[in-house]
This record gives sequence, C-alpha cells and structure tokens, in this order.
Amino acid sequence: MNPLLMFLVLAVGLTIFGRTMFYKIRLLIALAPTDRANHLTERLMALLTLAVGQKRLIGRKKERSSGIMHAFIFWGFCVLLIRSLSLYGQGFQAGFELPFFGDKYLLGYLYTALKDIMEGIVLLMILYAIYRRAVVKPKRMHNTFEAYLVLVMIGVLMVSDLLHDGARYNLVQLFNNPGHIHYFNNPEYGSEFLWTPVSVGAASLIAGLGMEANATILIVMFWLHICTQLAFLNILPTGKHFHVITSLPNVFLKSLGYPHEKNKILDLEDEAAWENETLGINHIHQLNWKQGLDLYTCTECGRCKEVCPTYTTNKPLNLYEFNDKLKHELLENADNIIQKTKLSALINRCQSAEQIQTIKDEITSLNSKKSLIGDVIEPDTLWACTTCRACEEVCPVTIEHVPRIIAMRQGQTLMAEAYPPELNIALKGLEYNGNPWGIGYDKRADWAEGLDIPTMAENQDVDYLLWVGCAGSFDDRTKKVSVSLTKILKKAGIRFAILGVEEKCTGDFARRVGSEMLFQMMAQENIETLNTYKVRKIITACPHCLNALKNDYPLLGGNYEVIHHAEFIDRLIKEGKITLKQSVAGGLTYHDPCYLGRYNNVYDAPRSILKSLSPDGVKELDRHGRESFCCGAGGGRMWMEENIGKRINIERSEEIVGRQVANVAVGCPFCLTMIEDGMKALSKEEEIKTLDIAELVEKNMA
Amino acid sequence: MKILTTVKKVVDVELNMHVKNGAIVEEGLQYVMNAWDENAVEASIQLKEKNNAETTTVTIGGGEDVVKVIRRGFAMGIKNGIQIDDPALAGADAFVSARVLQKVYEKGNYDLVIAGKQAQDTDNGQTGIILAEYLGLPCVSNVIAIDVMDDKHIKVSRLGDFGTEIVEIELPAVVTVDVAINVPRLPQTRGIMTAKKMPIQVMNLAALGASHADVVGAGLKSNIIEFIAPEARKTGRKFEGDAAKVTAEVVGLLVNEAKVL
Repeated sequence: MNPLLMFLVLAVGLTIFGRTMFYKIRLLIALAPTDRANHLTERLMALLTLAVGQKRLIGRKKERSSGIMHAFIFWGFCVLLIRSLSLYGQGFQAGFELPFFGDKYLLGYLYTALKDIMEGIVLLMILYAIYRRAVVKPKRMHNTFEAYLVLVMIGVLMVSDLLHDGARYNLVQLFNNPGHIHYFNNPEYGSEFLWTPVSVGAASLIAGLGMEANATILIVMFWLHICTQLAFLNILPTGKHFHVITSLPNVFLKSLGYPHEKNKILDLEDEAAWENETLGINHIHQLNWKQGLDLYTCTECGRCKEVCPTYTTNKPLNLYEFNDKLKHELLENADNIIQKTKLSALINRCQSAEQIQTIKDEITSLNSKKSLIGDVIEPDTLWACTTCRACEEVCPVTIEHVPRIIAMRQGQTLMAEAYPPELNIALKGLEYNGNPWGIGYDKRADWAEGLDIPTMAENQDVDYLLWVGCAGSFDDRTKKVSVSLTKILKKAGIRFAILGVEEKCTGDFARRVGSEMLFQMMAQENIETLNTYKVRKIITACPHCLNALKNDYPLLGGNYEVIHHAEFIDRLIKEGKITLKQSVAGGLTYHDPCYLGRYNNVYDAPRSILKSLSPDGVKELDRHGRESFCCGAGGGRMWMEENIGKRINIERSEEIVGRQVANVAVGCPFCLTMIEDGMKALSKEEEIKTLDIAELVEKNMA
Repeated sequence: MKILTTVKKVVDVELNMHVKNGAIVEEGLQYVMNAWDENAVEASIQLKEKNNAETTTVTIGGGEDVVKVIRRGFAMGIKNGIQIDDPALAGADAFVSARVLQKVYEKGNYDLVIAGKQAQDTDNGQTGIILAEYLGLPCVSNVIAIDVMDDKHIKVSRLGDFGTEIVEIELPAVVTVDVAINVPRLPQTRGIMTAKKMPIQVMNLAALGASHADVVGAGLKSNIIEFIAPEARKTGRKFEGDAAKVTAEVVGLLVNEAKVL
C-alpha cells in the first residue's frame, strides 16, 4: 500500500505499546517472588483447557450463551492474528502473504475461508454482546464506556476487514481488476472469493457505489483496520481489557495441585519481619508478581461476585471492586515499587553500614503511605470472606482471591492487631484449651465414654486414627455424628483409635483469620503427637480438619494420608463391609461443604453413598458441586458475628426448603450447625432434617 | 504514676478438678492468669496508655507456670515483672502473700496497687485488702472504673448492691477490681514475641530484704486441711407415656419420695 506510512503507523503503535508493556512487566518483576517455573506439561494442559478451550466460559450451564459469545470472539482473535501479520506485510508490499499461506497452498485457502467465517461470527457475537450489555443487562455486569468502546472497536475491525475484502472482490470481479489487485487464484482451488462468503456478502452491499468508491473503500478500510488494531492494542493495557494480553500467561502460571497458592508459613521469630512489617500483606508492594498479574488480568466480568455468598447476601465484599482498588493502588505506587527494587539490589553492593542505613531509610520512605486495609479496602470487606473459593472456581482467568485475602488478614491480625474482637473468645479458647469453645481440654473425649473406643495412648496397634475435631468432641449436636461414625467403623471391623485429650484444634480457623501464631502452635503440637504415635492414616468427619491436616501440615513437616469420612464410608460400602437400606424417605438433598468439595475435590463419594440410601436418589440443589453455596461458617466466620446483610445460612436454607425434600445431608460440622440453625430460623427443622452423612448411614445400615 | 499490679497463677477453671485423699490431683491440670488479675493488668495498661503510668506486675511462686503468667502480663503491655520465688512461701495464705507484697511495695515506691478482687482458685478475696491494711493505705474494693484526677488523687467507681459508689482517694492507695471494669485484651503475637525476651526480676525473701519470720511470723494463720469434691448431680428421671398416668406417678413421687408436696 504505502511502505512509509505503514512503517510510521507500526513504529508509533508498537513503540507506545512496547513502552507500556515494558513498564507493566517491570512492575511485576519488582514485586515479591513466587515460583511458577515448574510442571510445564500441566501448565500447558491448563492453558489448553481453561484459556484456549474457554472451559469456564462455555463449561458453565448458567453462563453458556455469554460463554459461547466470548469463546468465539476469543477464537476469532486467535485466527485473525495471522491475518494481521499479512496485512502489515501488505502495507509494505502488495500481495504479501506469510509462508505457506499464499495461494499456492491449500492452507492459504483454508485459512482465508476460516478467517472470513470467523469475522462474520465475531461480528454477530459483538452485536449480541452489545445487545446483552445494553438491553439484557445481567446483574453481574458492570457497564462502562470502556466495555462499549472495545466492543465497537472489535466491530470496526471486523467490518473494516470484511469491507476491505468486499471492495477487493468488487474491483476484481465487477470492475475488471483495475490496477491488477492481488487475489488468490489457483487453477486447482479456484478464486479466493469462492472461499469467502461473508466478504462476498459485504461486497454486494457496496457493489452499487461504483469503481472509484470501491477503490477508495479498499484503501480507507485497510488503514482503518490497521489503525484501529494498533489503537486497540494500546488501549488494552490501560483497563480491564488487559486480560486479552494477560489471561493466557495468567492461566499458564496458575497454582497447580492445591487449588490456590498456599499461604507461606510465616517466621514469627524473624525480628526484621516485625520491624519492616513484612508479615502478611499490609502494603501494596508486598504482593507477589503473580498476584500483581492477577490484578492486571481481572476482567471485571463479575462472575466472582455473582457466586459469592457474601455479595449475594448484601455484604460489602465485591471481589472485582476489591481487585480494582488493589490494582489502582498498585499502579499509583508503580514508580516507587520499581525504585525500591533497584535500591534493594544496591544494598548488596554497599560496604559501609551508614550507606546501607541511608538506602534502607529511602526504601522505607518509598512504601505506600496507604495501609491496604483501612485506606484502600474497608475492614468489613476483608473480614466478610468465608474463604469458600466459589469465586476462584468460576473465574475464567483463574484469579486467586483467597490466599491474598488471608495474607491481608495476617497483616491485620499480626501487624495492625486489628480483627473482629469477637474472635478473641475463640482464639483464647484455642490458646488455653486447644478448642475454639474454650471448654476444658480434659473433656475432649467425654463423648466417647462407654463406647469402648481406644485412645492412641491405650492402643497404637490400629490401622487408622479417627481425628474427631473440636466440633465432634465438644459440640453437642456434632458429638452425635462422632458416635454414628464410630458405630459404622466398628460395624465394618475397622481398627481405629482416637487421640482423646491429646488432640487439639488443627488451627484451621486461626490460620484463616490470620492468627498465624496460634495456627503454628496448634499444628506443631498436633504434629508432635501424631508423629509420636507414628500415625500414617487419618479419617476425619470435618473437612476443615481434613484440609489443615492434609494441605497445611505438610508445610510444617506433618505428612499423613487423610481421608474424609464420606470417602471412607463409600469405600466400606464398595468393599461390602457395610450394606445400606434404601430407607430414607421423603427426598434427600446434599449440601457440598466448601472445604470438602472446592478445596479437596470430593464430590462423588458423598453422592454415591446418598444414592444408596434414598430410593429417589439425590435431588441436587440449584447451587451444587463446584458451584455449591457456602453455609457461611468458613474462614473463621463461624466465630464472628454476621451483622451485615442477610444471614448466609438463611439464604442457603431457603434454597434447601425450596427443593422440597425431607432430608438434607451435610458432610461438615459447621455446615451442620449453620444449616440446622437456618432450618430452625425458618421453622422448618421438623419438616427437613439436617443430618450428617454418617448419621444417615448409621441409621440405615442393614 | 507507678502502678504495682498483683497477679496470681490459678488452675484453669475450665478443667474438671479431681480430689484424691483430701488433696487436689495435680496431674493433667494447667495454670493460667487469674481472671480478675487479667482485669487488674488491663486496668493498669489502660492507665499506662492514658496517663503514662509505669506498670509492674508482681507474682509469688516458682516454676514455669508462674513465669508464663508474668510473660502474659508483658505480652499484654506491662513493662516490669517481679517474681518472688522462695521455698519458704509454699502454702502461703492471704496474710503471708500480703506481707510479701508489702515488702515488694516498700522497695518500689509505688503510687497505686491494683489487684484482682479475688482469685479463681481460692475465692478468698482478702489479699489486696490485707495488703492495704499492712501498708496503712486507703483501699477500695470491687472497683469498676478508675479515673486519674491529678498526681495525687484518683476517682474510682465501686459496684455495690444498690448501685455505684464513686469514691475519691488520695494516692498512694490500693484498689481491687471487679470483672466489670474492662475486657482484658488478648495478648497479640508481637507482644508475645517481645515478652519472651523481657527480663523478669526474680527475688527470694532475702533479696527482698525480708526474713521468713517477717512474712510468716509465728506460722500460717490459716491452713487447708482437706479438699472435698462436690457430690455429682444425680441424673434426672424421664417420664414417658400417657399424660394422665405420668402426672399421677410424678405427683405421687413428689409427695412420697421427694416429700416436697
């Protein structure tokens, strides 16, 4: 077309883009380190399914139409990348084609056809997206000028390319190819235009304008396309559409194994950490680079808030707003953060203590003046989270909200010493008696009196340790679950023991409210006890205990094979060690506990058991499985007041009531308390029985 | 203002107490800071925060549990800790303890003594008051609020049966506090970490400048002879079935067996 103009346009567009990206990447590098350079095959698989396959967009029934819309726009973009490169080439030299994409190759034709159809589809999708935003207005969406601008720009990109090709078609076919415009024409595959129905359609719209007009359109559309594309590229990093660039790396670099990054074990003896306030996250520069990338990537799609138990019950936690505020704080402090890293590197090269001190002072002075909690995020927002992970499970770009929230809570609890004061009772109970109720530790095994259950101290010659947990030991309602479970184990002939008064809280809730010291204290004492008895296999009825024992304790050197009672009972049924009667009448539903499902991926075993119990099978709740709705007690919320908005357990109980069943099964002592309390509040406790899986099994064993 | 806060190690009352041969079974017991003393510590820290008072806790006894109690005070915000550890003080009653505390007071030139109004283990409620008597200082017990008026005077609120009494006292003085005075803070991690390294001034009677005779005198004025465990509550009886029959049966039992009707 015009090599000089092409060069200028590309040079300006790419230079500005390069500068922006360089700065953004430099900021990420300046943040705290975290290791993601591992397990490349698994990462590639995640990339293929979640990003390329758009799993969380088209995989969710509730969001399928918008998911398909997005997926096609994304795939369209991928296809059009190649087209863009050849267009740049054509700017320099007419008829430029990428290697193997010219008209000598079938690939060139196939690609041309694919590109043509994709442009048509993307255009339709854009129209649907605009209609959805402007007319349907789904609740989770948050309409901005930027959103419309980007949609219009994508539309312009499609229209301009289609009209460019359309004009080309008209000039070649109708106006006898003046100036010998390049097009594919291979005797074997025919004319290019036989392969491009959408462009030909576009051509018919402008055919009547005459040759000169078509010639003008050809040129105008070419430059419009190129300029829009480069403008688009430069708009992306400035807002939520940065995800177009960052989501692929963000998904590729996601946490593997455990569903999100495990919070580090903090070294509480480290005096420098106390002095520099580096325990937990208190200031924006303490984020690690992946957390920074998460903030860049947040698309503000609002899926997180739509599934969030706190947002849906009118609490102030709105996750995308949370991300947005952190992102702005990050960007406001970007220069200082980059400067801090430079200075830190300088310290190592300094000789004199005086120089080092000067630099240290300078580094401190570069810290954001804003405390993340209080100045950027409201305390009620931080403490609302139940750590249920519903948000993380639906996030299409795998943003990890929860570890960041826990680290910020650590900062609040350890550094600012500011946390909901009602937690003190539970924390003191943990400190004195190893349970959040604060009941004398000597009463921990009272529930087992007369049941002939050995303690490890009495008999270590067993196959399993039954980890009872605080609720199973001290809460009157949950003690019944403990009794049921032991009866099942005995009936199946399992050789097991309990720790009795030697068991302590796993520290799960302490960790989730940021009280790292109490968590470590509990964990270390428990690990010592477990290791003394050489415990290897643990059964537990509490998913919070399960998660702590299985996923947190290895960080402190405690490695055990931990299994939830639902999985264990399911195994016993399959091995024929216990048989069940299908005698649960009146319909049965199941409430998935977050720490069993989303944290530990146990969804099938409870359902398999329940199907053996109820002749009608399991009537699933609307929100179930990966998208189950929290009972409201996770993340230490069990021990905090719930004063804002509707109570989460009521919201969930109403959903269960709406399912018209006589029984709701749970697999977690906190869920049991919350759902049963919800039923009581709704005066439904007689009609709908809230029972643990173990209770249902014990009552219906043949 | 210099404040001396007396703290005591008591058995954790959440635990079941067992008695064997007239003595408490020590095995399995754990010890914590007396709850009323936590209020006393909190009150002195609040005076430190508000009025820049210098805070010191004193406790009597030896062993790790006593040290833990002092460190808890540090972690809450107390600046100095004194431990009076002397084998001669084994079995000390309120009189002996008050005498020891008197010696501590006299060495330190304090303006105010804050004590818990009683201890959870013995529930005597005497030590603070006897200490005031020994020192010849004004004493207000059952205090639920302390306000500093000036260097020499404080105003305290005292909970009585029929309302609150507000008393102005001249310093130095002794007050014993009720749980209603405040909600003791939970020691936080930073405080606990710092407390681990803070020095405790450990003294025996000689170091305190007192002799056995000074504090114990001719002998203990009181002596625990025996502990008796309370009788376990009998389990209730459950009546089920026809309401009329059950009513007749229950009334019969109330008349003949319980003899209450």
